[in-house]
Amino acid sequence: MTAAAAPSIDQALAARLAEIVGERRVLFRPSELLTYTSDGLPSYFKQPAMAVFPGTRDELVAVVRELARRAVPFVPRGAGTGLSGGALAEGVVLVGLNRLTRILSVDAENGLAVVEPGVINAALSRAVAPLGLHYAPDPSSQAACTIGGNVAENAGGPHCLKYGVTTNHVVALTAVLPNGEIVTLGNAQGENAGYDLVGAFVGSEGCFGIALDITVRLSRNPETVRTLLADFMSIESAAHAVSSIVATGIVPAALEMIDQATIRAVESSIYAAGYPTDAAAALLIEVDGATAGIEHDVETIEQLCREHGARTVRVARDEAERTRLWQGRKKAFGAMGRVSSHLVVQDAVVPRTRLPDVLARIHEIGERHRVKVCNVFHAGDGNLHPNIAYNAADPDETARVHRAMGEIMRACVAAGGTITGEHGVGLDKLPYMELIFSADSLAAMCSLREVFDPQRRANPGKVVPVHSCREWHAAPSARPGQVA
Amino acid sequence: MTTDTTLAAQSTRAIVDRVRDVSARGGSLRIVGQGTWLDAGRPVRATETLTVREHSGIVDYVPGDLTLTARAGTTFAEIRDATAAHNQWLAMDPAGSDTGTIGATIATASAGPLSSAFGLPRDLVLGVEFVTGAGSVVRGGGRVVKNVAGFDLTRLITGAWGTLGVITEVTVRLHARPGADETCAVRLAGKRDDAARVRQFLRRVPFTPYACELLDASTAGSITGEARTLALFRLGGNPEAVRAQRTSLRELGDVMELGMDVWTRLRAVEPERAIVFRMSQLPSKLDDLWSVAVRVSEKCPGTIIHARPARGLVRCIVPQTDENGAWLSRHFAERTAYTRTGERMPAELWAACSAPPTTDPLSRGIKATFDPNNVFNPGIFGE
Repeated sequence: MTAAAAPSIDQALAARLAEIVGERRVLFRPSELLTYTSDGLPSYFKQPAMAVFPGTRDELVAVVRELARRAVPFVPRGAGTGLSGGALAEGVVLVGLNRLTRILSVDAENGLAVVEPGVINAALSRAVAPLGLHYAPDPSSQAACTIGGNVAENAGGPHCLKYGVTTNHVVALTAVLPNGEIVTLGNAQGENAGYDLVGAFVGSEGCFGIALDITVRLSRNPETVRTLLADFMSIESAAHAVSSIVATGIVPAALEMIDQATIRAVESSIYAAGYPTDAAAALLIEVDGATAGIEHDVETIEQLCREHGARTVRVARDEAERTRLWQGRKKAFGAMGRVSSHLVVQDAVVPRTRLPDVLARIHEIGERHRVKVCNVFHAGDGNLHPNIAYNAADPDETARVHRAMGEIMRACVAAGGTITGEHGVGLDKLPYMELIFSADSLAAMCSLREVFDPQRRANPGKVVPVHSCREWHAAPSARPGQVA
Repeated sequence: MTTDTTLAAQSTRAIVDRVRDVSARGGSLRIVGQGTWLDAGRPVRATETLTVREHSGIVDYVPGDLTLTARAGTTFAEIRDATAAHNQWLAMDPAGSDTGTIGATIATASAGPLSSAFGLPRDLVLGVEFVTGAGSVVRGGGRVVKNVAGFDLTRLITGAWGTLGVITEVTVRLHARPGADETCAVRLAGKRDDAARVRQFLRRVPFTPYACELLDASTAGSITGEARTLALFRLGGNPEAVRAQRTSLRELGDVMELGMDVWTRLRAVEPERAIVFRMSQLPSKLDDLWSVAVRVSEKCPGTIIHARPARGLVRCIVPQTDENGAWLSRHFAERTAYTRTGERMPAELWAACSAPPTTDPLSRGIKATFDPNNVFNPGIFGE
């Protein structure tokens, strides 16, 4: 089934939505919609037909029901910091959730908080800091991105190496389905029975509905945090240091790699963190936990880095130095903005042991296509972020960048990896889904989506290529010989 | 009724053929791993059995990646031996023994004491391959530790009790063995506030034990030989950290050393004929749950109980007698503020223990999508 033909997104709809949310909260003039034509990835521009910004849960539900009544497709959007084009709403209605910013409850004793989808990630951690708690998933955009957006993308972040990604921290949620029905998924008060519907919903990229409230697990602040910066004269030796650290049984809170091109971009920006600009790569390593025994881990890591050829290993002496070291990493994408106007960002994950050869391959691909690849990524997870800054006004350069990106993606998949570790598929990774999933697996995903949204009106055209969404289970015997 | 013909499926292809054949004949399948829990009394109405035990073996294991891919019928013992050779382990310890299979564990989302620190199966599974009720081979996730490509079929299948597909292959996250991994117990007073004291201790200390179980005197007696209320701890990390953890346990009471084998005995503590169920709530309500369990043990002679404070969970193991069954059936009918999950009991008790959890429209829609002809494990959720 497909969305109803040509649903009318017109003045009548705008007027009706304005009755729900107020006139100022419905935008339909192209000039007003300009902000919403792109997300955090500055390479796609898609114009929504209309944007609506509910301010309360009731308004949100009423908006979704009105859209359902008219069979109008829509795209939910948090802060628009996503890096996959997932929140673009070409020709449909964009439902902005950034006004739903209430933290509804905090239960310090059980380490739980219930939040509205528009609560900013870092704001939650700030709010619970006096209780000695924080919300562990920490995407680099955490100062702006929303928990609802994190749920949609199953967002990660540097500290997910130890603490897990968003799905490991969501215990329950209430959602409005695209048809306007309200459902509660999961069990915040005990074991979940039946299907893991929270697991299915988290990472569904806005295709299964919109979360109204989200119950998240809060983590205890560690007693001690130690942050190290080790710099290497080759990427390969840095990659080997990563493997050797992980093999000891120490689970670092974070283990990040920053290559020379990124170091130089950061150091020439306002986010300069004091990274050595002549190093081929630097590792930013953090361990946290109980004070007792932590120095032992720091010493082990320091020694392993040196054994693998680290030139210097610096241990942050205080919180200010630690913050500065992290600032360089977290603002690396921002720093790249100074290099060129446009940036493509990848998010492939490879098995950790394949990092050295995949990084070498990426370098080779970059050279061959004459593009500048900057690598800044979660090395402990094997989650690569090769970025290429370029000038989109130059068609030749743009074409070379896209060819290089396609080759890099294929190299990562060939190494046994996946196409996205934390950013989501959205529009940007859509062409690569068939590299890693069979037709039957894609069809199964389409069918799962249709359970939540039979009309496929929520975030249409994202995640799974449309042509994969054929009738699936009806005629199995007609498709023999497809065993993977 | 289940027939006694058992097909040991050799490959995914064989499972596909079998599923299509049974589906075409209008039959249904009870999916079996090692068959350890077949006597758990779950009300499955299937015409035939599909055994994946022979569908075993480690498919892919690169130690440096800390991931392992295995066929569903691979036992924990095989995985333990393969990973131990590289000083690694799979931090899962569901009830039973290492003869259990990885496929059954993921299908049932069974978790043991290690879930206190390492999470549930949903947190450790990275990818699955499964055969749907229509005989399609579907993969979710992958072989890398972080993956958001596509909708999350992996978590959907985990804990679905085989009702959405036959799991044929699983990829799990491993951990490197710590420098020190020690077991000890703290002797508690055997008073009403034992559960509260352990819970508060866990909140206060700056570390997370690999496992912490509260044992009543009967459980403690049968696995440690000392019949008094104990808090059983497994402490892991570098030697210095573990030493400090052990020292802090003294705040809670008198510490006694134990061998690692106590965990094996705890996993296998239930007798063959037992009624076993869990109760769960917010961890802060553990004291209330413990009181309910103590009442069960007072009313049903021979009951043993243990609790997992980090997960707000208490497990009751009740000898299967007519009197105990009758009392529990009345007890189960009382309204509760907690979640009750059955593990093993006579067929007639299942309905009283907990309501079918998959009757909501989304769950029914998912079932109809993945198993349109209701081939897999019909009735296993009490539906």
